[in-house]
Amino acid sequence: MVDVSQHELVPEHTVLEDDVLEGVLSEYDIDRTDLPKIKRTDAALPDDAEAGDVVKIVRNSRTTDQAIIYRLVVE
Amino acid sequence: MQHSTPKDIGAINFGLMEPEEYREMSATKIITADTYDDDGFPIDMGLMDPRLGVIDPGLECKTCGQHSGSCNGHFGHIELAAPVIHVGFTKLIRRLLRGTCRECSKLLLTEDERDEFRADIEESRKLSRDLNDVTKAAIRQARKKDRCPHCGEIQYDIDHEKPTTYYEVQQVLTSEYSQRIAAAMQGGEDGERMAPDELAEETEIDLTRINEILSGSFRPRESQRKSIEKALDIDLTEEDTNKLMPSDIRDWFEAIPDEDIEVLGINPERSRPEWMILTVLPVPPVTARPSITLDNGQRSEDDLTHKLVDIIRINQRFMENREAGAPQLIIEDLWELLQYHVTTFMDNEISGTPPARHRSGRPLKTLSQRLKGKEGRFRGSLSGKRVNFSDRTVISPDPTLSLNEVGVPDRVAKEMTQTMNVTERNLEEARRFVSNGPEGHPGANYVRRPDGRRLKVTEKNCEQLAEKVEAGWEVNRHLIDGDIIIFNRQPSLHRMSIMAHEVVVMPYKTFRLNTVVCPPYNADFDGDEMNMHALQNEEARAEARVLMRVQEQMLSPRFGENIIGAIQDHISGTYLLTHDNPRFNETQALDLLRATRIDELPEPSGIDDEGKPFWTGYDVFSELLPNDLNLEFTGTIGEDVIIEDGQLLEGTIAEDEVGEFGGEIVDTITKVYGNTRARIFVNEISTLAMRAIMHFGFSIGIDDETIPGEAQARIDETIDDANDRVEELIEAYERGELESLPGRTLDETLEMKIMQTLSRARDNAGNIADEHFEDDNPAVVMANSGARGSMLNLTQMAGAVGQQAVRGERINRGYEDRTLSHYEPNDLSAEAHGFVENSYTSGLTPREFFFHAMGGREGLVDTAVRTSKSGYLQRRLINALSELETQYDGTVRDTSDTIVQFEFGEDGTSPVLVSSGDDNDIDVDSIADRVLESEFDSEEAREAFVTRKPAPTNLSEHADSRVVDSTEVTSDD
Repeated sequence: MVDVSQHELVPEHTVLEDDVLEGVLSEYDIDRTDLPKIKRTDAALPDDAEAGDVVKIVRNSRTTDQAIIYRLVVE
Repeated sequence: MQHSTPKDIGAINFGLMEPEEYREMSATKIITADTYDDDGFPIDMGLMDPRLGVIDPGLECKTCGQHSGSCNGHFGHIELAAPVIHVGFTKLIRRLLRGTCRECSKLLLTEDERDEFRADIEESRKLSRDLNDVTKAAIRQARKKDRCPHCGEIQYDIDHEKPTTYYEVQQVLTSEYSQRIAAAMQGGEDGERMAPDELAEETEIDLTRINEILSGSFRPRESQRKSIEKALDIDLTEEDTNKLMPSDIRDWFEAIPDEDIEVLGINPERSRPEWMILTVLPVPPVTARPSITLDNGQRSEDDLTHKLVDIIRINQRFMENREAGAPQLIIEDLWELLQYHVTTFMDNEISGTPPARHRSGRPLKTLSQRLKGKEGRFRGSLSGKRVNFSDRTVISPDPTLSLNEVGVPDRVAKEMTQTMNVTERNLEEARRFVSNGPEGHPGANYVRRPDGRRLKVTEKNCEQLAEKVEAGWEVNRHLIDGDIIIFNRQPSLHRMSIMAHEVVVMPYKTFRLNTVVCPPYNADFDGDEMNMHALQNEEARAEARVLMRVQEQMLSPRFGENIIGAIQDHISGTYLLTHDNPRFNETQALDLLRATRIDELPEPSGIDDEGKPFWTGYDVFSELLPNDLNLEFTGTIGEDVIIEDGQLLEGTIAEDEVGEFGGEIVDTITKVYGNTRARIFVNEISTLAMRAIMHFGFSIGIDDETIPGEAQARIDETIDDANDRVEELIEAYERGELESLPGRTLDETLEMKIMQTLSRARDNAGNIADEHFEDDNPAVVMANSGARGSMLNLTQMAGAVGQQAVRGERINRGYEDRTLSHYEPNDLSAEAHGFVENSYTSGLTPREFFFHAMGGREGLVDTAVRTSKSGYLQRRLINALSELETQYDGTVRDTSDTIVQFEFGEDGTSPVLVSSGDDNDIDVDSIADRVLESEFDSEEAREAFVTRKPAPTNLSEHADSRVVDSTEVTSDD
């Protein structure tokens, strides 16, 4: 099987620690359910991601080098 | 009067209405189906009861005392003789019937299951998922239960006959049970016979009982039935349907406990399921169903009123019959009729029910029809606004206007007014407008006195009125030069379809616009019409001027390059001006630049042989460039274009230099020198180009596409050659010698090879034709400069038109095995499948013409289909995106504050403000250094700024509600 998470076009997905998550949620003044969602079955997710976790995705951007996106893992 | 203050809408709750609420808000009960009495007065407690509001001017509303116009009307109500089902909820009613117990009304789930689903609903709500998925799953699980987990009652299937009938389906003993048992005991085709005593033994039923059953004198009990069925392997049941009357359903629903409703996604505090069965029908106010008086004095009632009349009539008949003790059958018929009328009152387009019709046979337009669809209340009345101060007329070109301007016909200017607040400083001006009257051009149509009285300015009173005008008055004056208006051409597909222009009042009847704004509007002058909107307040005018003016829209938000630039003749003009760098004498050079700001020529470029000074095309063109512009790039015709210090040194100016979509020079000037400089540049380029093209003269005729006979002979030769080669291919194919290409069948290979051969032939013909065209041939100039047309067009005009195609293949349709009856069946030759050997100049043969028309038709159909498809696609996309908004913290969120993007476009940049193209990276560091350098005088101040503690930023605007400590606020400012 191909591990897509190692593909160069798949950005880095990391599960966010709880305390970091607190900071992110308060920065945007939102609940975690207001975040964009990602399916738990998504092949790009790290193996230890579970439903309810928040992943941080760091994408390469032509204009800003890096674009950081947070997503809530759902069933 | 207390109703007149506008109020903010805090929240909207959706739910069901309680019958008692209908009664409470009702102004009157309606009991008679009549509307007006013989004297034309509304009947009390009739459908036009004056307490329901007023529609006739001058009358007073009996409920609120207001007059028509200010009274919104009041609801009444009809007490229904029997409950009826609300059509809007038939699906939900079915779901509830299937999911709850027929005896105790509890949800057919154990408490554990119920709690699980309730948690699921909570979860879904948080994640803003579709609640229906959960409730559907809950019902699906509940339906699986044969018995109620609470009271043990057996549950039956619910059948729903659309639209509003529900049946309970029970399995009961069939009436022909004895025959069936006897037949089974005889044995089927291969079954064995079974004697009654054997059966008695197997089923453990008395033999005498068995005999009684067999004779039909005893109906087996359920347990007995089951054992007989098992022993004989037969089915003794039939379906028995039991109709559920709305009153039964209402009783059923009343007993559903609140906790169980929650699991089905219903909020029991607001809505109870029994309210889906109507016992009271609200009657809309008369203002919602006004009657109109026809010319002959007859009143014509609204469709809704007609429907209400039907409802009341049946309602009364129902009550009378029931009181008279009519048979059940009649009552049920009337009940059904009442249900039908109430159903069609709400929705007259239910499948399976005949629509209620007007006497003329036209289906009635009832409640749902008023709301639905393109012309409905939502899309037609609420989203689709009609406005005043708008105008529409044909457009025509005027190259003397600036691209920011629009020529407005004087008769339009006299109709569209601008409100002028009179002060001491503009009093004289205001009086002049008024004294000119409504007919004279810059005049005025209305004045408003400080007491709010509005006076019409007429030809008669204008002189006197002008003297009365004082500071504090308002004058509605005509549009004058320099006013800003909004200009639009449909379809408004992108931002640049609506732009603000400055008015230039002109004679005649058309809107005039500069040809360079045609690309953003996608306008031409073959009869196009455009709309104008005169702005009515100062904020709108300021916004339009700052944000919407044409010059502010020069860069496209789609790809970040200019979409306004030189077009068509302008490009031919600049090409002629710069291609061979021609020389101009003083008069000529001045003439070229006469419509620009340049009124003094630069130093001559040189002295010619006769000793007279001359100016080159480069130098004339360079006059329009900013003095410090430096550019170097590969231009339209493949040569380098070099501009140094605002001086064109090398290269030809054509499409890629000054054109509409990403013309390099226009693009750079817009980004480096700003929109205003770019506007000036484009205006001047277009006028210079027009002067240049007029200087050289530019026209095209049939001779420009005709080639000498010798060239024609060579073209004929190549075409014959190609025909021969196609013939060879066909022969090889028929002999079976053709080898198929990988992945293709033999037929496909042949087709491909023929297509290849023929397209090569056309290219060759084109090349031969090209050789005979001079570089100054107008068609060649247009193609090379990118002004219009291509070399392919020229090839088709002078060489050969080439293969015609339908669906990307040679033409294969028409008759059986052939395209036209002029050819043998299965003729594979070029000619028989739409190869046009002739050129447009030499003329097509009738058969070629026919094939050409086939190809042409496909193109037309494609565009028609494409526009309608993409239009619908865009409508859906825009509806989906319309509620997204970029917040002040840079995030993009929808109305429920869910984040869609963490940074606008994931990079927080606007394509318009960012340099486009990969090759010029933005050097952020050097820009930052430059800014810091110019900002701070001393090194310390700079250091202090760079190292200062950053103020907390990126706050959500929703943070307002939180307590923010005051130091943060001050440091943020």
